Amino acid sequence: MTWDSKLIKKAEEIIKLYPQKRSALGPLLYLAQNKEGYIDDDSVVEISNLLGITEVQVRSVASFYTMYKQEPTGKYLLSVCKSISCEINNSKEVIGGIKEFTGLSSNETDPEKTFTFEEVECIGACGGAPAVQVNYETIEGVTPEKALDLCKYLKEEEPKVIVADDLQEKFGGIKSFEWAIEDNSGTSTTAPGFQIIGTAEEN
Amino acid sequence: MSEEIKFTVNGTELEAKSGELLIEACENSGIHIPRFCWHKRLEPVGMCRMCLVEVETPRGKALVPSCTTEITEDLVVDTESEVVKKAQEGILEFLLINHPLDCPVCDKAGECPLQDQTMAYGPGESRFVEEKRHFEKPIPISEIILLDRERCILCARCTRFSDEISGDPLIEFIQRGNKTEVNTFPNEPFRSYFSGNTVQICPVGALTSTSYRFKARPWDLKSISSTCNCCSVGCSIELNTSQNKMLRILGEDNEFTNQGWLSDKGRYNFDYLHSENRVLNILEKNDDSFNEISTSEAIKKITSKVKELKNPNIKFLIGSHSTNEEYFVINQISNHLNKDKFLSKEKSNVYFCDDLLSRGYFEEKYTQATFEDLDKSETIVLWSEDIKDNLPVLYLRIKKAVRNGAKLIVFGHTNTAIAGLADFYFGKDVVSNNFDLMLNPAELKDFKNNVEGKRVTAIVGKAAVSQKKESLDKLVDYLNEISELKLFNSFSKGNTFGALQNIHEIKGLNEFSTEFDNEEKNIVFTIGVNPVNSSYFGKAIKENLIAADYVISLDLFINDTTELADLILPTTSLGEKEGTITNMEMRVMKQNKILPAPGSTLSEWEYLIGILNAMGINIEYKNEIEINADLVRDYSDKESLPTFDNLNKPSNLYGVINTKPINITTKDLKKQDFPLLMVRRLYGDSSTQINSPSISMLGSERFIELNSSTAEKYGISSKVGNFIQGSNSISIKIDINNLLPDDLVIAPINRRGFENIDPSKDFEITEARNREELSVN
Repeated sequence: MTWDSKLIKKAEEIIKLYPQKRSALGPLLYLAQNKEGYIDDDSVVEISNLLGITEVQVRSVASFYTMYKQEPTGKYLLSVCKSISCEINNSKEVIGGIKEFTGLSSNETDPEKTFTFEEVECIGACGGAPAVQVNYETIEGVTPEKALDLCKYLKEEEPKVIVADDLQEKFGGIKSFEWAIEDNSGTSTTAPGFQIIGTAEEN
Repeated sequence: MSEEIKFTVNGTELEAKSGELLIEACENSGIHIPRFCWHKRLEPVGMCRMCLVEVETPRGKALVPSCTTEITEDLVVDTESEVVKKAQEGILEFLLINHPLDCPVCDKAGECPLQDQTMAYGPGESRFVEEKRHFEKPIPISEIILLDRERCILCARCTRFSDEISGDPLIEFIQRGNKTEVNTFPNEPFRSYFSGNTVQICPVGALTSTSYRFKARPWDLKSISSTCNCCSVGCSIELNTSQNKMLRILGEDNEFTNQGWLSDKGRYNFDYLHSENRVLNILEKNDDSFNEISTSEAIKKITSKVKELKNPNIKFLIGSHSTNEEYFVINQISNHLNKDKFLSKEKSNVYFCDDLLSRGYFEEKYTQATFEDLDKSETIVLWSEDIKDNLPVLYLRIKKAVRNGAKLIVFGHTNTAIAGLADFYFGKDVVSNNFDLMLNPAELKDFKNNVEGKRVTAIVGKAAVSQKKESLDKLVDYLNEISELKLFNSFSKGNTFGALQNIHEIKGLNEFSTEFDNEEKNIVFTIGVNPVNSSYFGKAIKENLIAADYVISLDLFINDTTELADLILPTTSLGEKEGTITNMEMRVMKQNKILPAPGSTLSEWEYLIGILNAMGINIEYKNEIEINADLVRDYSDKESLPTFDNLNKPSNLYGVINTKPINITTKDLKKQDFPLLMVRRLYGDSSTQINSPSISMLGSERFIELNSSTAEKYGISSKVGNFIQGSNSISIKIDINNLLPDDLVIAPINRRGFENIDPSKDFEITEARNREELSVN
């Protein structure tokens, strides 16, 4: 038993929301990810016992979706969009700059565990392309220079809480529209929606 | 659903059942559409896109995958158009992007669907110049299965099989996109009783078995159809040999029985045929060693012994791996001896080696079931020994029926592996630790509602050696009265039903040990059996065999039973003899010969006829065909007799159902209240398995199962410990199974160490907290 009773209770509450146990797999993987920052093998075993499916079936789903992390990420997860709108608006240089600053290629974490860098497909901010996410908080209208400043800021200041609006003000440019999601822990149910690793609760 | 509709393929008008898949309907009409992922016995997924065909739609012609398209009225299909050809070439070019093309060293080459279809439908050349995927190769995903991931084309046949058919999804796709691979979870190997089927259905050489890898090329193989005798399901198999060595056994798709699948025991239990431990010459015991002697000398010794002992009892302990022809000859010899001048009446008896043999339900008032009835029944009632371990392919058929909507009701404590499938599991509240029914079946509401007036198929047999047959009678007679009952007697061992059909009077092991009289003269024949290490009566039988005046063993190996013999006559085995066998549906099927008899081995019947002739009794059989011609006479249905000629006809390829009167004499054990329930696991220390290197390790683990409150009572919290009874101490793995009732402990009878344990006596279980506390054995 690697999950404490509080987490198990939460998991059981989530399972009850679905007519079939195995439908709760997605939300339970979020629980695991919130606990460790990635989906570790112990959590996979725990989830498989809770849902009555085999471990490899859990791992199969967890490894299919890129936002379930298979390995621990650094303190700041930098996701840079490489899809068409951002590409047209010079995301290549943003990517190149960040790569050079951090010395990482896609899906790598630095030894100090400060940064994890990844190139991702569309993050839904085409109006403000090119866009970057830090721990899934979106900053739009980033220029290659601003991206470097962002990295330097993160490295030197090591902010504990990442809030999109703050960073947008400091490093962003054109914005597609006002983001209005306040409750990012799932709007209508107790099942966790997508949450920011580590920083969400403090926020 | 089954209404016939018309559709057109390549300009020809064809008929099919509505709702049928396009690929299947075309196949049935002789039009082959290439495919990788589609398999007749699996749900379609449309993964590989190889089966794209052009159909006419209201918006013009369109390419659709024929494996996920159902036939509709007046559908117009083109399977050979230019567009289809281009699609096929494109798909193959894509599939070959990452396929290594290591055919010269791949076991599948020569019978590989990817290779064959690339030849037939492929583009001829590839435009791909980049680096292919590389993986560590091969990785063992279980003790017997290896995986070369770079060869995999992601058709999902293996993962679908393990999920849908066998129900143990321990392999799955990991990652996605071009990183997708099939794999297991770390430390959770693909341990399935049915894993070998994934090797057979893999359309490339990604999954291979340790027993066949690098052993032969398919074009060098000789093959013949036969029937498996590992359990009484009687799966149709194909034997593959090369240079007179058995190299592989494949499942054949017999609609009536196995539908293509096999258990791993049936598939991989053949290496023993060529084991260096096999007895190949007649051995005579001289004090403690064995001497080789000739057949004529051996027969002379036996006949002179019979004369010398003057009117001895001649007892036959028989096993389940003989053919019907051999049982028929055993019956003849026993009958003749009873009539003969050497013996007075009733001196010769035949005893069948299965602890769980009972009188069964063969009377006319009971209707014999077939496996097809499972699919048609509304409710399946199961009370028997563990089906998954003892009749593995029947487990698959039950699982299929349940998937298609049949209700499953399970009684007792032995079938806990199938409890997950069951709609109702009647355990400790209904069945006592003695396997008595504690309630009247009519009082069980859920039970009554699901059987009353319904089509019911029951699988019934003793679940434990101490079980009284009456407890089963109560259930069966109730069902027979209240429902449309069809019934299987679940005697699980090999050709049990062949023995029952062909031996006029057959007794059980309880009778052997109670009837054995040391005061009299006794000659015992053991024929392909090893009760000493696999039976509740083992200890008593061992004492009887030691006390007997002369023991003759017809067998393959020197084992715990045959080492007690005065004479060992080496016999032939699967693939080395021709004959018929009968499965639990009473379906008689053919076993065929593809290997020569090794050394100076003979078939069992050849020895027995030789002995009879030497004793002056004149029965002459030159070959199995003559015996077969004699034995088919008493079958009840004269229209379809299971003669060799008849069974070799294509229409009877998968056997004919035919019956004979059956006469079994067995009594229940007097002893009751066993604290230990001995069960037979699929794998064990049988002499064939321990001499088959590729699967010998599978039967070595010793374990017990008990529920958590019983474990608490014994003060056990760790997962390993020692099982102690008297001077026997066995190191065991301890499994908690909360479906078991309190105070009942399950142990495997066919694992080394447990043969000396008496389940009716008390025992101790101690836990081991470290290596030093485990007993060494």
